[in-house]
Amino acid sequence: MSGVKPEDTARDGFDQIGKPVPRKEDARLLRGKGTYLDDIEVPGALHACFVRSPYAHARITGFDLDEAKAAPGVVAVVTGHEVNDWTNALKMAPPIEGLQPTEMTTLPVDKARFHGDPVACVVATDRYLAEDAAELVYVEYDLLDAVTSYDAALADGAPLVDETLPSNLVSHQKFEAGDIARRKAEAYRVVEAAFAMQRMTHLPIETRGCIALWDDGRAHLTMHIGSQAPHPMRSMLAGRLRLAEHQVTVASPDVGGAFGQKIIVYREEITVAALACRLKRPVRWREDRLENLSASLQARENAVKTLAAVARDGRILSLEAEITEDFGAYCFYPANYLARVIGMILTGPYRIQDYAFEVKIALTNKCGAGPMRAPMAITSLVMDGTLDAVARELDIDPAEVRRVNMVRPSDLPYVMPTGEKLEDVTPSECFERGLEEIGYAAFRDAQEADRDNGIYRGLGMCNVIESTTYGSAFYKAAGIPGSGHEAAWVKIEPSGAIRASAGLMGTGQSYETPYAQAVAEGLGVDPAQVDVVLGNTDISPYGMGARGSRGATAGGGTLFLAALDLKAKMLDIAAALLGLNSPSELELRGGQVLRHVGGAWSETGLGLGDIARTAYMDPLKLPEGMEPGLEMHRAWDPPQMTYSNSTHFCAVTLDAATGRVDIDRYLIVEDCGTVLNPLVVEGQQQGATVMGIGGVLFEHMVYDESGQNLCGTLADYMIPTACEAPEIEIVSQNTPNRRTPAGIKGMAEGGIMGAIGAVNNAVNDALRPFGVVAERQPLSPDYIRSLLRVTG
Amino acid sequence: MKPAKFEYHKPETLDEALTLLAEYGDEARVIAGGQSLVPMMNIRLARPDHLIDINGIDDLSQIRLENGSVAIGALVRHREIEHSAQLAQACPPLPAAACNIGHYALRARGTIGGSLALADPAAEFPLMATLLDAEFVARSGAGERSVPSHEFFVSVFTTALEPEEILTAVRFRTLAQSEGWGFRWFSRRVGDYALVNAAAIVALKDEGRIHRIAMVLGGVGATPVRLTGLEQESVGAEASAGWVREISSAAAARVEPGGDKHASAEYRRELVELLLAGALEDAIDRCRGRQAA
Repeated sequence: MSGVKPEDTARDGFDQIGKPVPRKEDARLLRGKGTYLDDIEVPGALHACFVRSPYAHARITGFDLDEAKAAPGVVAVVTGHEVNDWTNALKMAPPIEGLQPTEMTTLPVDKARFHGDPVACVVATDRYLAEDAAELVYVEYDLLDAVTSYDAALADGAPLVDETLPSNLVSHQKFEAGDIARRKAEAYRVVEAAFAMQRMTHLPIETRGCIALWDDGRAHLTMHIGSQAPHPMRSMLAGRLRLAEHQVTVASPDVGGAFGQKIIVYREEITVAALACRLKRPVRWREDRLENLSASLQARENAVKTLAAVARDGRILSLEAEITEDFGAYCFYPANYLARVIGMILTGPYRIQDYAFEVKIALTNKCGAGPMRAPMAITSLVMDGTLDAVARELDIDPAEVRRVNMVRPSDLPYVMPTGEKLEDVTPSECFERGLEEIGYAAFRDAQEADRDNGIYRGLGMCNVIESTTYGSAFYKAAGIPGSGHEAAWVKIEPSGAIRASAGLMGTGQSYETPYAQAVAEGLGVDPAQVDVVLGNTDISPYGMGARGSRGATAGGGTLFLAALDLKAKMLDIAAALLGLNSPSELELRGGQVLRHVGGAWSETGLGLGDIARTAYMDPLKLPEGMEPGLEMHRAWDPPQMTYSNSTHFCAVTLDAATGRVDIDRYLIVEDCGTVLNPLVVEGQQQGATVMGIGGVLFEHMVYDESGQNLCGTLADYMIPTACEAPEIEIVSQNTPNRRTPAGIKGMAEGGIMGAIGAVNNAVNDALRPFGVVAERQPLSPDYIRSLLRVTG
Repeated sequence: MKPAKFEYHKPETLDEALTLLAEYGDEARVIAGGQSLVPMMNIRLARPDHLIDINGIDDLSQIRLENGSVAIGALVRHREIEHSAQLAQACPPLPAAACNIGHYALRARGTIGGSLALADPAAEFPLMATLLDAEFVARSGAGERSVPSHEFFVSVFTTALEPEEILTAVRFRTLAQSEGWGFRWFSRRVGDYALVNAAAIVALKDEGRIHRIAMVLGGVGATPVRLTGLEQESVGAEASAGWVREISSAAAARVEPGGDKHASAEYRRELVELLLAGALEDAIDRCRGRQAA
């Protein structure tokens, strides 16, 4: 059957969708009753510990494992020489023009490419003994020169990070739409601007880890592992271990955060799984914080330079962007994966058609990079920062520059120069509302007066077009391998108990509650009746997992569709039981079948329990030809992209003496369509914004010139704490998306994009009287002072 | 991130602890609050063979006001100092310093003896010990000795304590009625070690001239830096805004801070000037306030 169509599901009002239902998972998570990886007891499990390269770049010339193998409690000590024989290498060679194909063995045997690269694994009867023995693994290294910056990587004669490639330029793409040269010739001026974000890491509270259980009798591997995407992870794991997918179960327990770090299967986890299969004993591994900070996955470290050809009134005639990125030592993802989206949506909510970008990605001797919550984070900073640069250079009000360029309601649907289509978005409405809420004119007056008293305040604005959900059409169009579809099932048991599942796995952000609401809405029951089970590939349907802010649209949307289909079946049964020819007068609400007669709804006496019992236990009463049971499976491929939009305003005070930035006020106006649960959405908005602020002001994964990682502890890698988080005011708008179930859009990453732009722009606004501009993050007091010092 | 193997001892008396220390010497480490030692053990930067837990020993947890000084037992937690009414009265810089250390959980567990014996040059208590001419009471099986602060702090994470000695108490001088104090710091986040901190005590005499003065800086060297030379030069000076500027800039010129990933040397030097000026202003204000009262 084809089932309910997504575009037919929008409604003015919902019963369950949109209700501020308290997070049901909190009952266990906040009372210490969650089950995280370390809560799973496995009698007799062995513990793995990895030996890591202390050097950024070094030829491995020999291993001496004898002493480690003889150490107390040690069961095995292995290197790539064994593990690579047991496992397949990761080939990263999608057919993308300008992308160099790469291949990565499970453990390196020839050379270590970054400080923290795993080169050997010790398995012992407990973790203490494993760490003791790891100290006795002797690896002989010949040091090589390390490349530790984008520029150094692309310099003539630079040492090669990956010696199978012709250069460290691992990916290089260009795009052009319109006629840039002509627009520049017509322009009043061409404004240059530069932006850079530092290297960061995801920093989940719970680090990576896994338990691998090999059932030798059934030849089956169960992998307990925190995962955002259990099914793709199972496929990868099976492929790397040379097993069939049915031989592998990925079971994700509760997960203490991921932020993009727990999508793929890493070398350590493959090693642990391979060891469990070989040793025929359970093996577990818990990454420690030092490893998580130095060797897990890192992100950002990209820079964008823009050239904007502008008219006298600030209108952008053409925009060119040069995007560069330091991708680290290994390609865990296609190297173009992240920067590609930056180029694609850079023009954001602004009317620009003549547009070009060039993307260059370099390999360096640092930990490999990958997607981190808002991989395209820099885009809004670049676009709104460029507009601020235009405003500065032409001496126009920055709000006015945004206005003259912004996509107006009458322009919608608006096709961006890259072909991306904006529809059902409200950038100018949100922006104008934000200006009003923040009291823009009054702020400018006060700012002027304060400057005369040596108080430097700044107001930063950032308009965000947030790409969310990422349907399969996106992957195809972007030349990135992958699918964007999601799958879900809803089952009603003979007693009327309700269970539902989808392919995505939550990592703390609350999926169970909004999913229960989506299912409850579709079925016509109370959300409390719906049990949502996620994370186990034996139970959940094959979906693409949680990433790209697709939890609500892809996960919640598909569940909603499945529930609607199941309700249709239940109403067919109800009609049969009531002796009606059709269910057209029937509806399920609160678990009861109601009938619309004489202009009013009246009870029929039939409930969900009666229907369930009939479906399973009395199938002869079902309409002719209907299958017994109440189980519904749906798969749904969302549109290419569902865009949310928001505007962020940040007011800061800059202490010119110390360079310290204090956030005085933070305001967001956001339109993320139909909201499943406003409490969960607000948690995401607050969390994403604080994560963005952390990136602008604090976080920095520092490597020295020789490639040593200097941030091995949380005293070194600084994230904002509750003390640094400002109060965040949020104004919501809700324009439904016309192509998704219930009009849902994604929204979990825009807060980062907005904060990165708004805070940075605010600081530059405060710096205006000094004639300097901050062009890189983090905006540490020391960096701000270095700018001010020059001005004397 | 598991510590290397060690043997754990939990003596019930100080004598027992000293006997253990005498036996194991530098193979042993004393653990009190464990807020710095345990993380260091976990990343195996500290690898004691024997861990002597002194938390069960009585008599190390008192705050005793004596004549002109206050003796604080090594096991007194930061929280107790933060909330001590008698310290707020007799030696207010100490509670001011304590409430600035880390976050709540850390202050509930961390001890003053642990902080001083660790000797982080940017930490609050080493700064205050140097400001308040602290006397460190060190006990060993051979007896007790008293070490003045300028001898106690030797270098980064290094003190004059011998391997067989336990720091049992620290004696700080209390503030006289005529004295005012100031404490300023700069850290990027609440609860971090300061990039630079500064503290001062000032006593004024006739017409606002400096009678006595103590100034100390943290985060600018291997130990807290007492500005003895500048203190001597300052006596008799008029405590004006101009003098504060002058002395702060002189201090900035004299110190030799290092640079690291958190802050450059140049930036630290700027902070010295700002923070010392702030600490002196506060001290002078408090001094005038007390005189007026």
